[in-house]
Amino acid sequence: MAKQTSYFPELKRDWWLKHPYFKKYMAREATVLPLVFFLVCLLAGLFSLLQGAQGWQGWLQFMQNPLVIALNLLAFMASLFHAWTFFQLFPRVMPLRAGGRTVPPHLMVLGQWLGVLVVMVLAAWILMGGL
Amino acid sequence: MTTKQLSIQRYLPEQGSAPYWQDFDIPFDDSTSILDALNYVKEELDGSLSYRWSCRMAICGSCGVMVNNTPKLGCKSFLREYEGPVKIAPLAHFPVEKDLIIDMEPFLDHLAAVQPYLINDSGLINGSGESEETFKQTPEQMEKYKQFAGCINCGLCYSACPQFGLNPEFLGPAALTLAHRYNLDSRDQGKKQRMPQMNREEGVWSCTFVGFCSEVCPKNVDPAAAVNQGKVESAKDMLIGIFKG
Repeated sequence: MAKQTSYFPELKRDWWLKHPYFKKYMAREATVLPLVFFLVCLLAGLFSLLQGAQGWQGWLQFMQNPLVIALNLLAFMASLFHAWTFFQLFPRVMPLRAGGRTVPPHLMVLGQWLGVLVVMVLAAWILMGGL
Repeated sequence: MTTKQLSIQRYLPEQGSAPYWQDFDIPFDDSTSILDALNYVKEELDGSLSYRWSCRMAICGSCGVMVNNTPKLGCKSFLREYEGPVKIAPLAHFPVEKDLIIDMEPFLDHLAAVQPYLINDSGLINGSGESEETFKQTPEQMEKYKQFAGCINCGLCYSACPQFGLNPEFLGPAALTLAHRYNLDSRDQGKKQRMPQMNREEGVWSCTFVGFCSEVCPKNVDPAAAVNQGKVESAKDMLIGIFKG
């Protein structure tokens, strides 16, 4: 018997606008955009360091531009948001077992945030001239 | 009895090629499921409506439809849960044969590709092999895969997955979850045969952890977790492959 004709609805480019869940997913993925800006700033800083004192001063001035500060602040918030979503996914991808029991997911999430805190304190200590 | 408006996407290949929407007013109370509403349409209003259903209790997995753009089992969602008119369409990302009936063939092909059954040459398969002995499995061993064994093959996760929608070659949530489920089973020896499928680009690596599959799963299987645990396994498998040469 010949196969019945069927139609195949194509997924359009704006598929992610059709459901709130997909919008949230795209927001998570979009956090990379301000982070790219931050990384370019960082690389420009390294490059200006190679250019000598004048280049370095120029970069410092650029970094003080209110728009640049705003974008970097956005990158910071975006990375925290991404971490928040990522930390929740982590226990599902890497369920840990200790003493014959599964470690409760909320403890793993808490552990990761503690890790962030430790890194932040360490970075602050180094920046404040601790070394 | 109050009524609710139901918009159903119709597609009648013998009458024309374009799908269209048809509205029905359905009397309902707190116990009226989407499937009850479809049955009411078929029995009282329009006998030409086609849809699949069987068990009415979220076990057979055949009554999946899109309800307001979200994949749902018709028997497990109720009209009382929805404000305003309810839009019902066939499961997304599959070819539509007629009205709410999709072609499950792509899904079944992907399932078969990962060999979702016990592969074991010891002859101890539930006493049906050479030996009288059956498999032994401790509760701890069963706990490892039990959650992923709840799949009823309803296909909702495929309709929730934009990666499958964009690329129908992607093995998809249910198939990859079942592959992982059997790989985790202490009675199984087939991991070596399944890994090449999981390692493919259309295997675990097409997943970007959108996670909607786990949201819509009517049996709380959490396919997104299984697929991403599969990525860890795939990475390990590739590394071991490199060192072995």
